[in-house]
Amino acid sequence: MAKIQKRGEKGAAKNYITRNQALKKLQISLSDFRRLCILKGIYPREPLHKKRANKGSSAPASFYYAKDVQYLLHEPLLVRFREHKAFAKKLARALGRGEWALAKNLEDAKPVARLDHLVKERYPTFTLALQDLQDPLNLVHLFSTLPTNPIPGKTLVPPEVISECGKLISEWKLWAIKTQSLKYVFLGVKGIYYEVDAPGQGGDPVRVRWLEGYEFQQHVPHDVDFRILLTFLDLYRTLISFVLYKLYTEENLVYPPPLDTELDAKGESVGALRLVEKKEDAPAEASSKVSKKEVKRAIKGIKSTEGTADDVDMDETAQEGKDDEEEQFVERPSKEDNEDVAQAPLTTFSSILASAEPSSSKTLLFSPFTFYLSREISARTWEFVIRATGGKVITALQAPTLDSPLAEGVTHVVIDRPMTVEQMRETERGRKVTWVQPQWVADCINRSKILSAEDYAPGKLLPPHLSPWDGEGELARPWLEEHGDAVAVDSVGAEDEDEDEDEDEEEEVADESEAEDEGKTPRYPPALLAAATNPSDSTLRHAAELEAERNGTSHAAFETQLKEATKVHSKSGKATKAVSAGKGEEDLRKIMMSNKKAKLYEKMQYSNRQQAEEVSRNQTRSLSDVMADTSI
Amino acid sequence: MATKMQNVRHRGSRPSTSRVDANGAGPSRLSTARPGQKRAADVSAELSDDELQLNGHVLDSDDGEDDDEEELDEASDDEDPFPELDSASEDGDDDDDGSDEAEDEVDGSDESDLEAFDDEESGDESGYNSSDIEAMYSSSTSVSSRASSSKKRIISSQQKVDDEKLAARTDLTTDEKLERMIEAGTRKPDESIGTDAKISWAKEGKGVLKPSKLVPGGYRREYDDIEAGYGSESSTEDNPNTVGNIPMEWYDDLPHIGYDVSGRKIFRPARGDELDKFLSNAEDPAAWTSVEDKSLQRNVQLTDKELDIIRRLERAENPDADFNPYQDTIEWFTGKGQEMKMPLSGAPEPKRRFVPSKWEHQKVMKIVKAIREGRIVPNKPSATKPSVYAIWSDSDIHTPHAMYMPAPQLPPPKTAESYNPPEEYLPTEQEKAEFEATDKEDRKQDFLPQKYDSLRHVPAYKDLVQERFERALDLYLAPRTRRVKLNIDPESLIPKLPSPRELRPFPTTSCVQYRHPGDTRVRGISVNPGGEWVASGSEDGIVRVWDLGNGREVWKWNLKAGAIQHVEWSPNKEQLLLAALVQGKILVVSPLALASPTVCTSTLDHVNSAFASSSATTKSGGLEAIKWVRPSEDERERGVLVIIEVPGTPKHIAWHRRGDYLATVATEAADKSVLIHQLSKHATQSPFRKTSGAVQRVAFHPSKPHFFAATQRHVKLYDLAAQKLLKTLQTGLNWISSIDIHPGGDNVIVGSYDKKLGWFDLDLSNKPFKTLRYHSRALRSVAFHPTLPLFASSSDDGTIHVFHATIYTDLMQNPLIVPLKILRGHKIVEGLGVLDVRWHPEKPWLVSSGADGEVRLWCS
Repeated sequence: MAKIQKRGEKGAAKNYITRNQALKKLQISLSDFRRLCILKGIYPREPLHKKRANKGSSAPASFYYAKDVQYLLHEPLLVRFREHKAFAKKLARALGRGEWALAKNLEDAKPVARLDHLVKERYPTFTLALQDLQDPLNLVHLFSTLPTNPIPGKTLVPPEVISECGKLISEWKLWAIKTQSLKYVFLGVKGIYYEVDAPGQGGDPVRVRWLEGYEFQQHVPHDVDFRILLTFLDLYRTLISFVLYKLYTEENLVYPPPLDTELDAKGESVGALRLVEKKEDAPAEASSKVSKKEVKRAIKGIKSTEGTADDVDMDETAQEGKDDEEEQFVERPSKEDNEDVAQAPLTTFSSILASAEPSSSKTLLFSPFTFYLSREISARTWEFVIRATGGKVITALQAPTLDSPLAEGVTHVVIDRPMTVEQMRETERGRKVTWVQPQWVADCINRSKILSAEDYAPGKLLPPHLSPWDGEGELARPWLEEHGDAVAVDSVGAEDEDEDEDEDEEEEVADESEAEDEGKTPRYPPALLAAATNPSDSTLRHAAELEAERNGTSHAAFETQLKEATKVHSKSGKATKAVSAGKGEEDLRKIMMSNKKAKLYEKMQYSNRQQAEEVSRNQTRSLSDVMADTSI
Repeated sequence: MATKMQNVRHRGSRPSTSRVDANGAGPSRLSTARPGQKRAADVSAELSDDELQLNGHVLDSDDGEDDDEEELDEASDDEDPFPELDSASEDGDDDDDGSDEAEDEVDGSDESDLEAFDDEESGDESGYNSSDIEAMYSSSTSVSSRASSSKKRIISSQQKVDDEKLAARTDLTTDEKLERMIEAGTRKPDESIGTDAKISWAKEGKGVLKPSKLVPGGYRREYDDIEAGYGSESSTEDNPNTVGNIPMEWYDDLPHIGYDVSGRKIFRPARGDELDKFLSNAEDPAAWTSVEDKSLQRNVQLTDKELDIIRRLERAENPDADFNPYQDTIEWFTGKGQEMKMPLSGAPEPKRRFVPSKWEHQKVMKIVKAIREGRIVPNKPSATKPSVYAIWSDSDIHTPHAMYMPAPQLPPPKTAESYNPPEEYLPTEQEKAEFEATDKEDRKQDFLPQKYDSLRHVPAYKDLVQERFERALDLYLAPRTRRVKLNIDPESLIPKLPSPRELRPFPTTSCVQYRHPGDTRVRGISVNPGGEWVASGSEDGIVRVWDLGNGREVWKWNLKAGAIQHVEWSPNKEQLLLAALVQGKILVVSPLALASPTVCTSTLDHVNSAFASSSATTKSGGLEAIKWVRPSEDERERGVLVIIEVPGTPKHIAWHRRGDYLATVATEAADKSVLIHQLSKHATQSPFRKTSGAVQRVAFHPSKPHFFAATQRHVKLYDLAAQKLLKTLQTGLNWISSIDIHPGGDNVIVGSYDKKLGWFDLDLSNKPFKTLRYHSRALRSVAFHPTLPLFASSSDDGTIHVFHATIYTDLMQNPLIVPLKILRGHKIVEGLGVLDVRWHPEKPWLVSSGADGEVRLWCS
């Protein structure tokens, strides 16, 4: 006879454990458990049968996977927590007794919890780490923008953490500039979204997207628990630094890059960091583990290089003195230099660009251009964006006006305030400069071609800014595609025709082929189409007539067009009717569906209908907009 | 200490009883005096106690212990509240060597000295001092002063002793004291104390010899009554009755109530009867404070003291009036001035506490040497791991566990989130208001699309921190579960069925309409088995016969008896018989003019044969309320052949396939709701004596002698031949409206008012094989085609659904049911749609009747 199964010894009852049980098992406080969960990435589960998982009770409870909690028992962090608790007690006692020497000793021997092992444990491969980099980057950037001198008791974020976050984000952007991997920029109401292409394990590209809020003081709500965010931030900082190390070493660069304190103080974010090439490919990089010997060697290396650092800096300054262009990134000797920079020549952004260009097979979008950023433009954002796509940048910080000698060779001026043509001419002083609003840069990057700058001239009403990630994109919004094409008709300005000729030709070919495709079905102006869909509506017809007048078509031609359009529409209408007739048949077959399947079918149909409604709503609105335009 | 002191003394004086010292160990013990103890032992013990009290300031009235009770004493030793002294006292007990003894003596004297003269300064630790001598002296004087009165009980108090001490101190010089002490130390102790010398006083000739009453010629000594003194139990001593604590009822029958201490009978005191008692109680004012002494059988007046005790007990207080529950604690061993009286150890500080450790020195020197040589660097930062290093390599592999659920990534922003979206994304005023009105959790997206003219106008997003925080909460607090996203074509859910085109012919269009004047509801229709005529019964009380093909009315009977409930042709082709139901009647009519002569004669023969056999025009077919009436001549001319008068309003007819029997249902007719009529014999039977539930519909099995009766929720199948219930179909429907049996006889469809149709396979189960719900209103009628694989259902929603239904001979194969066509055309009048459907007997034609007064023929 088979063994009798006892209740609660198998299945959900065994697999899941409630939070209180977990606390009891681990013998830690709730707050410690929360921290552990955040750091270890343990999350509650939703069992299929809650009642079974809760041993027959239907009381509300959050369930954890029992093995997750079991693994927590052996977590070294748990030991660190306990050590820290003991340390805190000892310190408090020493301070209370006024034993300052003891307190200092204790403080020196403060137990520090390291999260290295967690990074490897949570992200076994580099690709996984990159895939999960969105949240870390978002949060780290957010913290980098928090006020550094917080109102006491409001945000409990130490200033070191904030500066560290700022450093990490700068390093990340620096890497993106160096590898020129920026793919998309999207200006949203919440902030600016960026997407870069990062090489994952074995070089397969992983898209990493992150959001940066606009540069304003952040509103900090009262009910935000900063302890939780700081715990997340601990892990995220560790993760990002390891990711950056990997990315930098793959580019044969030293990580962390030395920080120029003076430039940093001046407000340069990315510019304050220097990229240092490694003198040789350390064999240790290949293996993931670090042996004790290597650690020792590294420590020895620090000692030995301390003496030579000054000489190196001298050389660099000598080199840079020659180059006028690189003056914006003058490297100054910083006292914090402690990396193995032995004989490596320091590279500036320009030199990085110079070195990157020949190596990368792709031609960069903005590589022939030099941009002058007007002072109302966020240099932090646009300098990064333009550099990461190959352009050169001169900010208002470096050259106060366009006339200054530093602003030599400027091809584009990015400006975000209305200007009259006269003003522009005056400032141009006979040079040929294209004036654009910042959206032009983003749109160019997203479409990966140089758009006509006409629509983006200062003070003009801009064409809509579309998301590069919006769904199956253009297919879902055919009415938008038309607009886009209209905009991109004369895509390239005269001044950059020479450089981009090849590209343009390709584009034109593509355009032609598109036109041919479309040529098979006659295309009508939108108002006409609208009138055709509803021939009885007199207002629509009137709008279509106005449109025809504008377009210069004769009345007879218009009439014929309208007739054709209505015919086409009625044909399609018939087709839909036929479909609906077919639908009637389907209806009959649906009678024979089981109840369960019928419900599922209804659900699916419902969601499909919702989507279709959304699309049709936008379509009709865009049509009505067009009509409003034409009627005006 | 007191113990030790006394210990030494005893050893000196009475070595044989050295263990008595244990008495002194229990200063906290209470008096445990027992009745009937030996006086001699008592005395000796008291003597030793006296010494104890003198020396140790301890009040002890422990006189119950003697030498025979050593074990008890040992046990009590364990309770000694001063365990550190215990070992010393036991040492003394053991008597092993002299040095030990001497040490004990010294210690003991020290301590006794400390304790005895607390107001005096403590002397040198070694040797005797003056106070010690004084103590010895005082004790010896007290002993000597009281030695003479050995038989008298000695009661000494602390005060008294102190007085004596003071006196001794003031009176005597040191020399004299010393002398006295030596005298006391050298005096020979009284040998008689504590021995058993005076166990019996008989030898001393006390008492009076009297002749014994028990032993003839013998004598017994009678002693004077002993006056019980302090320490003995006065309550027992007072009682002259010696019988003890026994139930006094044992003496109820005897003249006496017990014996006094000399063995004399105590006689029952004279007691009055109840009246006397009552009177005495009433007269005596002190009666209520007296109690009955059971052992002496008399009333005893309680003293004031005793009454006070009772009062206190009643109030749950301590019975002792002098007891002070809040008395001050007596600081015996702690408190001011008592500090150093009881050190934990008298051992002097060891040398090692003052001399620096050699080994420690060596160890320190080792470290110092190491530091000098540079082997140990103080405050050296420990070599830590570098903050970052390569943790990933290309050889990493990740094999996700089954329970691995990575957090879902945030979706990419859509165009609606743009700072400059196309116009159509901007919300209207209504949508904005809607957005504001909905709760934060219920919103589809967490922001309102907004358009800004240029980038510099875009403000900070105020919920950025909040959103990051909520995301963080989601990451570690939100339960994750694996949800299977159905990536299937919804069309694949629809069952694969043959196209209706392949299943032709079936009725699709309305060909002929049979219009009823006045648009009266047509409740019942029927197609005759030949397929030529359609009979319809409308609410205006007229039964009409129509030509099926062209819709011409060929015959009609105005029955003038209210609405026609139902009409039904007899299934027998040989005869042309139509049954129509009106209130209280079943009319069997025949449009004889339409039929061929042979059919006419057979019809008339069949119906009228019974009239011939029976004498009268009326005949009760076994049941009183039912009458078979021969219609009048006039009516017979019109073709009304028989009238059956039945109770209630029959609503439904079912013909047996041979055309002889017909069953009717009149729901409100209680036990006669179901009736089976036999035309050939003009007989009626009620098959069910009592029906469970109201029968809605009945039907004959097409081939077997079985009978279906559908109640509101169940369909019951009876075997008419065996007269038993075969099956009950659990339909799962709430109110059955119609039923039809497949011509094969194994499948049944049941329509219900709750919009459902149930298909039953009788061979398969009692539960429906399929329940279909496709009508939006109640089903009114269901019908199988008699020959073709078709069936139809009509409903109040004004539609008729036509189905194909192939039933396979293979039992393993399920019947194939394919919906073919929805026939629309009947109008809904007052919530009623298509009331009845019937099939043409051979062709795929359908006849339907509606509440709009139309009968339609639907052809393929």
